[in-house]
Amino acid sequence: MLDVSRVQKELAECNKDKAISGVSINLHGGDDLSHLEGTISGPVGTPYEGGTFRIDVRLPSGYPFEPPKMQFVTKVWHPNISSQNGAICLDILKDQWSPALTLKTALLSLQALLSAPEPDDPQDAVVAQQYLQNHPTFVATAQYWTEAFAKRTSVGIEEKVQKLVEMGFPEALVKSTLDSVNGDENMALEKLCSS
Amino acid sequence: MHDAMANDSSVSASARDFAKKRRVNRSAKLKQCKLDARREQWLSQVKGKSCKVTPMASPPTSSSPPVPMPRPQSCLHDSDMVFANHSPTSNSPGKPPKVGCCPNNSVSSGGSTRSCSLSASDGEEEGARGEENSAIDDWETIADALSAYKSRVPPAPVNDSGAQRTMNPEPTRTIPRAWRPDDELRPQSLPNLYKQQSFPANMERHFGAKGWSHPVILSAPSSCPICYEDLDPTDSSFLPCSCGFRLCLFCHKRILEADGRCPGCRKQYSPVEGEMLGMSGVKPLLPFQLSRSYSMGSRS
Repeated sequence: MLDVSRVQKELAECNKDKAISGVSINLHGGDDLSHLEGTISGPVGTPYEGGTFRIDVRLPSGYPFEPPKMQFVTKVWHPNISSQNGAICLDILKDQWSPALTLKTALLSLQALLSAPEPDDPQDAVVAQQYLQNHPTFVATAQYWTEAFAKRTSVGIEEKVQKLVEMGFPEALVKSTLDSVNGDENMALEKLCSS
Repeated sequence: MHDAMANDSSVSASARDFAKKRRVNRSAKLKQCKLDARREQWLSQVKGKSCKVTPMASPPTSSSPPVPMPRPQSCLHDSDMVFANHSPTSNSPGKPPKVGCCPNNSVSSGGSTRSCSLSASDGEEEGARGEENSAIDDWETIADALSAYKSRVPPAPVNDSGAQRTMNPEPTRTIPRAWRPDDELRPQSLPNLYKQQSFPANMERHFGAKGWSHPVILSAPSSCPICYEDLDPTDSSFLPCSCGFRLCLFCHKRILEADGRCPGCRKQYSPVEGEMLGMSGVKPLLPFQLSRSYSMGSRS
């Protein structure tokens, strides 16, 4: 069984200093403690600077004795993260997991991974090849992806909210819906209409 | 039954402790070698320090947990002999002279273990006052006076690391009273007195002062880093890996059932150490060992 009390303590602990650490974790929605969503801010001095990256976190029933399953929701251009589905290649999420690690330390490790790619042990071969053979292009692409996908929720969010509110949806619902679809206006509208 | 009633107070103290321990199922895992080591530490500590321990605890309130009390050395030996000669269940609830004044302590004649543990747990807080130990009286007086005098002063958060390492306050300590378990500002790292009731932190300081072989004992966590539950005294003295990573026995057992690697250093737990400490599996203890464990564990 999932160690509920540990997860709850971890959530509280991790979010206590999220302004400093740059990582936070919350319930994905509902009250299912085994499905969480983490966010990490892009490390300063990297092509990911300024972006906020969302990570889908699923806790197996054996957690913390088994590693959490983590996957980027936000698209990111990185040798060790799949540009297709956000799958992460990181040893501590696999065989090097230790129950002494926490969700917070795992997210911090992801943040460190953004700072220090390992192109020799790639998850996305295309990105890794670009990283090694055409580094300026890699940096430019990663920056562009950060701009396009990791900042979308904050840039222009007010206008989107305003637009949807004018259509007659309550503001709180609009905001949460926009948030859940990563700021995609059309998807949010679709969701709002179907709910 | 009359014989039982005539038992001296140390016997009933043992009975109380036994009942206290019964409620904590984990104590079944207490190990003799650890206990003997602790006992020696305790004995030498009590000789020199029994009076110094007193100001550290919070004044007894109905909500606060029972506070560990040093007991006279002779008491320890007496109860050891008692437990060596009688099984725990044969200890009828004879009570120390002053415990009887506690209104909750209504069970006085039952011979069964059940009633024994009932009366013991109800009366244990009052029973602590009944100890024939002048140091305790002093402690009460000091604590009451302190809380009365400083009750208007809001509790100042103490230095986390300091409080974590030494629960034993210095005379210059500025905090008006000890942290209570329900205090909002209570540092999470503070050991939980309720579970560490029989193994005060200054014991660990004593280990350190003697240059005991494990330097990490000073920085022992108060809760298991795996399950985040508080470490009880047995867990606190459990050092399964040479890297110094501590965890509770439950988590350790679970890890042994899986890949058996230490969470701290990822190395395989050495089977020798696990065997030596006897914590790796559920070893059936002889009744004699059990009773000794209870009596020792509750006072060492």
